[in-house]
Amino acid sequence: MHSAVRDEFHKSRADRFEKSPDHSLMPPCQDACPLHMDVREYVDLVAQGKIMEALQTIRSGNPFPSICAYVCTHPCEEACRRCQVDKPIAVRALKRFAVEFGGDRVIRAEAQTTRQEKVAVVGSGPAGMACAHYLRKLGYPVTIFEAHSELGGMLRTGIPQYRLPRKVLDTEVERLTRMGVEIRTNTRVASLELLFDLGYKAIFITIGAHQGLRLGVEGEESPGVIDGATFLREVSLGLKPSLGSKVGVVGGGNVAIDAARTAARLGASNVKIIYRRSRQEMPADAAEIELALEEGIGIMFLVAPTRIGREKGELAVTCVRMELGEPDARGRRQPVPIKDSEFNENFDTLITAIGQAPQTPANFRIRMGRGSTIQVDPVTLTTNRVGVFAGGDAVTGPATVTEALAAGRLAASRIDDYLQHRYPLTGAGRQVLASDLLPKTVEMIRKTSRLEPPILAPEKRAKDFEPVELVYDWEVAVNEARRCLRCGVGAEILFQDKCATCLMCLRVCPYHVPYLDASGTIQIPADQCLACGICVAECPARAIVLRKPYDRRQITEELEHIFRSGTEPKLNRLVIGFCCQYGLFGTGSLAGLWKRAKAGIRILPVLCVAKVEAEHMLRAFEMGAEGVFIAGCGSQCAREDTASWVSQRVAKVKKTLAEIGLEPERLQTFFPDSTGVDPATELDRFSEQISGLHLATVMKKEVAR
Amino acid sequence: MIVAEQKPLDEIRRMLGPYERVLIVGCGTCMTVCNAGGEREVSFLHSALRLAQAKSGDGAHAFSEYTVKRQCDPEFLDALAEKVGDVDAVLSLGCGIGVQAIAERLANVPVVPGVNTSFMGMAKELGVWDERCAACGDCRLEETGGICAITRCTKAILNGPCAGTKNGKCEANKDMDCGWILIYKRLEQLRQLDKMRRYYPARNFRAIPRPRRIVVNKGSIANAGEGNA
Repeated sequence: MHSAVRDEFHKSRADRFEKSPDHSLMPPCQDACPLHMDVREYVDLVAQGKIMEALQTIRSGNPFPSICAYVCTHPCEEACRRCQVDKPIAVRALKRFAVEFGGDRVIRAEAQTTRQEKVAVVGSGPAGMACAHYLRKLGYPVTIFEAHSELGGMLRTGIPQYRLPRKVLDTEVERLTRMGVEIRTNTRVASLELLFDLGYKAIFITIGAHQGLRLGVEGEESPGVIDGATFLREVSLGLKPSLGSKVGVVGGGNVAIDAARTAARLGASNVKIIYRRSRQEMPADAAEIELALEEGIGIMFLVAPTRIGREKGELAVTCVRMELGEPDARGRRQPVPIKDSEFNENFDTLITAIGQAPQTPANFRIRMGRGSTIQVDPVTLTTNRVGVFAGGDAVTGPATVTEALAAGRLAASRIDDYLQHRYPLTGAGRQVLASDLLPKTVEMIRKTSRLEPPILAPEKRAKDFEPVELVYDWEVAVNEARRCLRCGVGAEILFQDKCATCLMCLRVCPYHVPYLDASGTIQIPADQCLACGICVAECPARAIVLRKPYDRRQITEELEHIFRSGTEPKLNRLVIGFCCQYGLFGTGSLAGLWKRAKAGIRILPVLCVAKVEAEHMLRAFEMGAEGVFIAGCGSQCAREDTASWVSQRVAKVKKTLAEIGLEPERLQTFFPDSTGVDPATELDRFSEQISGLHLATVMKKEVAR
Repeated sequence: MIVAEQKPLDEIRRMLGPYERVLIVGCGTCMTVCNAGGEREVSFLHSALRLAQAKSGDGAHAFSEYTVKRQCDPEFLDALAEKVGDVDAVLSLGCGIGVQAIAERLANVPVVPGVNTSFMGMAKELGVWDERCAACGDCRLEETGGICAITRCTKAILNGPCAGTKNGKCEANKDMDCGWILIYKRLEQLRQLDKMRRYYPARNFRAIPRPRRIVVNKGSIANAGEGNA
């Protein structure tokens, strides 16, 4: 009977701790991502060396992770709060790493047709592909109609191969086919009525924005002038336009940069970009601009073409210098021509890349908006015609791949709502962590430089269409991922009723995060806490938990697992080691421990040893361990005082061990530094020492769970 | 706040010897703040007791744990009363008051103290507590600049300092500040040195009749005679 009482007490405590809800806030990176990818999660999984799990996480939020791994414009990195400390986490490069090393590119297609209603997707760009993917997962029969000979839309015809290798795209397309999406290439949809007549119950129009905008200057129709989108499309589809040696590119967006770099790869020796504002206003990705400059491409800032003529087989482009005037409604300073500043530039080819617009057939009879984009309801993505939805560049004008994927995913769920006669529920999102870190917090964060993936040397790359950016090696990826501040999973006082306002958390926090509010209540602001877990392990009332249940459950669960598995051979003495998960991986400072660990040594990875409580150490002995060690990652740790916290707890446990009559040397800590002994050697010595001691326990069978 | 220290494990085990089923009861107020008997210490002691038992192989005690908000108020103990149905003893990690409060509440269950209640004090810094009040019942802090002569002076003299002070330290403990030098310096800072020149009559050193009782609501306690109001 008494054991029932004990169980009840245990259960109630465990329930309160472990079944408490996930209170983590959405970090700024996830909020900034159009797909709301769980960036924090997969970056942390990379840091732990769990690359396959990282890829799983990426896949759960992104239908085509390898595409994004190459071309995402990573708004997450701009939103990253590490910017306040030094540089943001290299999220996209880490995703690329996870995609390359996380396992098979092609996963088993799992989609069964469970619905009757056929859906037509017009256009096969990222929005169309994503929509087809998710509709297929929902069980709908889906057909993609594509005017070109291959799927991919702008992914294939707009993005040069050196940024997105074709085999990557082909793999993703292959996955769609395997999922059972019917694909009709070389099929331009002429009329929506026809599709309805063919039995399609809903249509998703995602025809992109392929029509290059015109400069509106005299002589634009001259031979030798081509628009950027058409140029890139022709190159992508295998044509080799003859450009001559001198190529000008008008525009400052990503298409202009792509066109210029492509021209250089096709052999043009003198490529110049003409942009009417300054570098600061350039909408192209800053890293891409840098790469273009490295490849020898010139950029003329504050210059605009005014007239295009032809002389002696060359294009004579009259340009005018500009200066920046007042900001417009969007805050961009408007360029104003400087009087009498005209000059001439001669080119063999002039590529105009000043923007694109969708070109929606008039007989679709769809209401259009500004810049010939399709007008839709932003929540339902419905057009003015029943059963016709639209998304992607065709609605937004030229935008990013990730935005298109997000539009496709949204369209799939809205089409599902429509076909199932459901009111579209938008649902309240998770609370977003939006605020900046306070200066006093920033000050306490150790600065670490951002690690970039290697790139091909400029002289090697400008000749062909091989991918420019290479993949991280494992060590670098893990170290880069470890820089993540883990915004929004920090500590919270979950059990206010238990909090004795003892101020322990306030006094132990390495970042000065907890504070006393005016009412005398202790507050741990979620937007400042960096989840080191020291207050969680020290709180005498055990009122504090980490906001994400996984983080707080892990150690107890793993210990229980070791206890339950009980597979240790009797001859070997059980030694349990709490080891820093980050240090254990790959080239981490503790990596040798895995390899050298002899039979009987059980390594329990923890997400920072600062989270190992004194009770955990004692519990390990209770489970029958003859020795227990705690190994931190040493100088790799994000915090300097981790070792001192561990040592304090170890001292307390050693005192108790002595009182019990167990040798205190059964408990050891290893904190390798750059000069110190290899932790594996220390472990060898430790396990030798343990085997020299008398068998401590007959405990295993005695200990009540 | 009341400050206490956990008793040595050996002593606790000796006291618990006769009892098979033991409920360890923590206190969520002072004992939590001074790290002597909050939920974490309860759980740590629970583990340590089980481990010690497994090591020594003596007896088959069964331990369970529970932490109440405050042991010194009977209302908080109602929930405890429901949980002790089948235990042989309670090990209280409350202060001496908590132990007695539980004993009063649970007529048939022996209660064993798990901590030595030390003093009333304040936190000096993380993990350090200092005694500051002797509960003499006759507060003279106004006269001494807010520094208690009874606790800060080893001899508890009222018209100090004594002749034993040297370099501002106490003759009984050369590392400890002389309470009266502290008082002097503070009064100097407050421009109240005239208070040093006054003579303070001796306190009433007649033994305080214990236990003391304070009654705020007159007539609220029916059976007078338990305390010296």
